[in-house]
Amino acid sequence: MSHDAATAPSAAIELRGVTKDFPVGLRGLKLRAVDNLTLDVPAGQVFGLLGPNGSGKSTTIKIILGLLEPTIGECRVVGVPSAQVESRRNVGYLPEAPYFYRYLSGAELVRFYARVCGVPRARLDTRVREVLDWVGLTGAAARRVGTYSKGMLQRVGLAQALVHDPRLVILDEPTAGVDPAGSADISQMILRLKSEGRTVLITSHLLAQIEDVCDRIAILDRGKLILEGAVAELVGRRDRQALIVESLPPAELDELRAWLAARGRALESIEQPRARLDEIFLREVARAEQEARP
Amino acid sequence: MSLIAGNTFLEAVRQRLFLFLVVVAAALVGGAQFFQSFDFGPDLGAASLKFLLDFGQGALVFFGSALTITATAQLFFSEIENRTALTLLAKPVWRAEFVLGKFLGVWAVVGVFCTLLTGLLVGLLWLRTGALLAANPGTFLHGGRILLGEVVIVCVLQWLKFGVLAMMTLLIASFSNTNLFSVVMGFFVLVICHLQHIAHHSYAKLTSLPLRLLVETFARLFPDFQLFNLAEQLGKPSGLDATLALRAGAYAFVYIVVFGLLAVFSFRRREI
Repeated sequence: MSHDAATAPSAAIELRGVTKDFPVGLRGLKLRAVDNLTLDVPAGQVFGLLGPNGSGKSTTIKIILGLLEPTIGECRVVGVPSAQVESRRNVGYLPEAPYFYRYLSGAELVRFYARVCGVPRARLDTRVREVLDWVGLTGAAARRVGTYSKGMLQRVGLAQALVHDPRLVILDEPTAGVDPAGSADISQMILRLKSEGRTVLITSHLLAQIEDVCDRIAILDRGKLILEGAVAELVGRRDRQALIVESLPPAELDELRAWLAARGRALESIEQPRARLDEIFLREVARAEQEARP
Repeated sequence: MSLIAGNTFLEAVRQRLFLFLVVVAAALVGGAQFFQSFDFGPDLGAASLKFLLDFGQGALVFFGSALTITATAQLFFSEIENRTALTLLAKPVWRAEFVLGKFLGVWAVVGVFCTLLTGLLVGLLWLRTGALLAANPGTFLHGGRILLGEVVIVCVLQWLKFGVLAMMTLLIASFSNTNLFSVVMGFFVLVICHLQHIAHHSYAKLTSLPLRLLVETFARLFPDFQLFNLAEQLGKPSGLDATLALRAGAYAFVYIVVFGLLAVFSFRRREI
């Protein structure tokens, strides 16, 4: 499941001056959901599309998927105009709070979408098995989707999004309603997708997760792009450094301050590093599960 | 398209409404043979067969119409409201494929319904004819025998009519916002189409040519469903008029294509 970078365009998604207006009422009033958005999502990277509710993220995703036509502007997906059905051959999409045909089993559902995407019949069974194994659903493949938990629905959603081996994967709030363990698994899967050479476009309100997995982000507000850049550049402060040392006694701390002052520097703050709550949660759950094993 | 149609069919047959309608309609058709205490007059054999036929046709038309409208609207809106359409249309699928897949799935469901009821009706007519001939070999000497092949043709015409009705309901669903609105409008259109025959007579009486042309043009928008009711011809010496049956089939095909194109056009820009 890897892609030849030489054949892929430098930008997996190109948005050029995209504006989308929705008519409101009968008086010809318009609601502008996306306003003159120009954005490139580089191939092979994990890109976070952020913004408050109503900022135009979903509309932008729908335009990328060809589900909406922009009022003005142009959108290309892996070099193909998004209005063309052909552009979707390169895209896998996991919608927010996915709902699938409850009467199908996980394997039947993935098989259905594989056939819709034109996976050759000869490869169908193998491909369905591969992708269910990839998302860790092999054991539940024969169960009906209606009996799946939220985390399992996200996994089967990811499986259907990947079954046709797309270059671009769009994940709309993939961790919404998922517990921290499931959320951590999804983060790992996103990083695996990146390591396979795929481009991932993700929207999420969990900014810590975005920071962990994304190479670049863009922030939208009221349809307009207000910030875009590499995560490392945006969150890092080049004029500051943090040194983590074993606890120093007050006397040695005073010596350190004096040493810095002699060089015209100041010790701005002293903090105790804190473990992240999700790390504690995952560690404790893993420990409890290990203890519960016979 | 065939995948969407197959999935639509699967979803429909797993719903209890389909099973309920099949059971009720089959019970009604099957129960018709027990109404033998009615006085069918001097021409007992022919009249009792006609009674069975009318009863069976009535059940087919009534429950078939209800199934067509509710199944079309329900199966379309279940995809929209559950957002499965979003996942599906994010795949390399044309919107026309989605609309036509839904239509074919519903039409196949209605086809199964019609086949079951037609099979039951034909079986009952065959048994009744056999019983009448056994009791009196001269029962049909003066006509009145119903040819089972013609019964099948008449039922096929009803299925074609349901195809037109399904496509009209799909056209309404393609732009409406709720399932309920589509169902109500579907039944409204069904009534209009069944009354077209009467309306055509009234249009013909209009003296003003421009007004007549205007009204007739408007009237052509709605197909005349009475053209599919050829059951009256069964049991008569002349039998079923094959030309009329073929014309009704072509008439259905034209309306299905036209309403299908309109539904695809209407759904083309719908926000999912």
